[in-house]
Amino acid sequence: MGSFLLKRLGLALLTAWAALTVMFLLLVAMPGDAVTNKGGEKALNSATQKNIRAKYGLDRPLIVQYGKFFGNLAHGDLGYSIKNDRSVNTDLKETAKTSLRLLFWGGIVQIGGSLFLGFLSAAKKGSIIDRVTTIASVAAQAIPIFVGGLLAQVFFGVFPTQHKIGWLSFNRFWPNKWHLGVIPAESWKGIVLPAIVVGLVQMAFLARLLRSSMLEVLRADYLRTAQAKGLSRRRVLVHHALRNALIPYVTAAGLALLEIFGIAVQTETVFGLYGIGSKVAEAALIQDTPVVLGLASVVIVAATTMSLLVDLSYSWLDPRIRVGEKLAT
Amino acid sequence: MSDAVLAARADHLVEADAISYWQDVRKRFFRNRVSVIGLLILAFLLFVAVFGPILFKGPYKAAVNGAELQRPFSKGHLLGTDDLGRDMLRRVVRGLGISLRLAAAVTLISTVLGMFLGGLAGYFGGWIDALVTRVVDAIYAIPYVLVGIAFITIFGSHFWVVMLTLISTAWIGTARLFRAAVLQVRSQDYIEAARSTGAKTKRILLSHVLPNALPPIIVSVAFTIAGAILAESIYSFLGIGFIEPTPAIGVMIRSARQQFQDYPHVLLVPAGALVLLTLSIVFVGDGLRDALDPKLRGAT
Repeated sequence: MGSFLLKRLGLALLTAWAALTVMFLLLVAMPGDAVTNKGGEKALNSATQKNIRAKYGLDRPLIVQYGKFFGNLAHGDLGYSIKNDRSVNTDLKETAKTSLRLLFWGGIVQIGGSLFLGFLSAAKKGSIIDRVTTIASVAAQAIPIFVGGLLAQVFFGVFPTQHKIGWLSFNRFWPNKWHLGVIPAESWKGIVLPAIVVGLVQMAFLARLLRSSMLEVLRADYLRTAQAKGLSRRRVLVHHALRNALIPYVTAAGLALLEIFGIAVQTETVFGLYGIGSKVAEAALIQDTPVVLGLASVVIVAATTMSLLVDLSYSWLDPRIRVGEKLAT
Repeated sequence: MSDAVLAARADHLVEADAISYWQDVRKRFFRNRVSVIGLLILAFLLFVAVFGPILFKGPYKAAVNGAELQRPFSKGHLLGTDDLGRDMLRRVVRGLGISLRLAAAVTLISTVLGMFLGGLAGYFGGWIDALVTRVVDAIYAIPYVLVGIAFITIFGSHFWVVMLTLISTAWIGTARLFRAAVLQVRSQDYIEAARSTGAKTKRILLSHVLPNALPPIIVSVAFTIAGAILAESIYSFLGIGFIEPTPAIGVMIRSARQQFQDYPHVLLVPAGALVLLTLSIVFVGDGLRDALDPKLRGAT
């Protein structure tokens, strides 16, 4: 267990380092830098530019800048934005709140919806619910998030408002006040569309996966045994079939979390939310290196931690698998 | 009974209840109604993409002076115009062409690259496998937005730049999939048998491993095409793929952001074309997956 964790952590650190290095190189390779972009329409004069570069250490050799970034990162200091001199740690605190709330509600849609639909369509295989779920879940994968977001705004915002159908109109702003961090203190309607848009694609994919792995489990001999000894259908489905079908589901759900960053960028852009994703995209366009690398490193650390937790959860789900053992599927 | 009679009888039996794998695949694919509809829609869109630019000639890039935004079915503009007075129909048929050409190039190159690297990693294992797996993981961790921004600011917005950007992330899915397929095939007895008869590595790879690990790749090609079309529209929508006045679908959707509240057609036309295109491809891919699955062979 100990050596597995160490090895796994080492690999995660290696991956994060490689990703951040590539990002650093990409940002350096772009023509111009944050200082040339800083003046907006009219560029700052060269003396001022020189002073600013000296202040942020941009005049030092690349290798020094590179080393300094990782040195500060190790101390939890993400540096300062070149655009407005704000601490990236402060930016992180503000944007992370919005992003985490979005992910929380998106995650509830994703996990809750996929468990419910996947379980139901496997239990009632061939029924109308099953067929609609199957087709809809394939379809959901073909609709990009930003298109889904914009279309949702048309059909649940523009059209209902024009035709005065109040209950169907979800055209509200993201709430400002929250109870317990995640429960909106204002209208719930503001979070409905973003949460669904964030969760829907992965929900469809996971529901489909859960359905097929449950159907596979349902054909196994031990399921016949469970039925033969007279257990109720419900107990067979929930305690035997669902639990055994959860392993591939958890793997896929863990991988899905790695893709959520790309989803967040699009959702936050479409709905005009001030989150980590839209902030990184905005900062990258003006080559604000500290903001991009600082926020991205937090996202990468969070993602690798999640995939480590996924690996650890296997042994809890299936006691036959010892921690660190590869799945034989 | 003579040998000839026995042989004839055996032939008869084989012909009667066994059809070849590929015949079975075709049969099962065409039995899947949703996939067949998808195939028909896809054929229609291909037709539109090829002949649309010939049928609907006229300017489609430059803004029309003094023109107003017109709704669909207005005179001379079947699908209306955008805020610059440009005909939506002319733009969207060209947008389909761009999406399809880009997707074809990206899929071809990234599938070959992914199969090559994934196959090497899966068959040889060891340090090659470790290296490929690490690279794949690292690429997964880089936000693709940054790659897009970097490429477009360094090289500018061109077809080949968007293509390279998409390839840089598209090959990893194929590599992962093919690596897993090769790993599975490698441990089969017939590979061991081939090796024991003294077959060279090249021969084993090309005539034993490749054909047996191929079916999942056929399915992944369909999803790579759809993924490339989606990715292009996302990049263009975020302003880091194609840019105005190129009539790419993502660009049209990006430009629609200002007016779609009042004129929904400027969003619905490109979004509809995009969704129809990716939906049809995904349903074809899904039908192929079911049809190619040997576990379902002969099943209805």
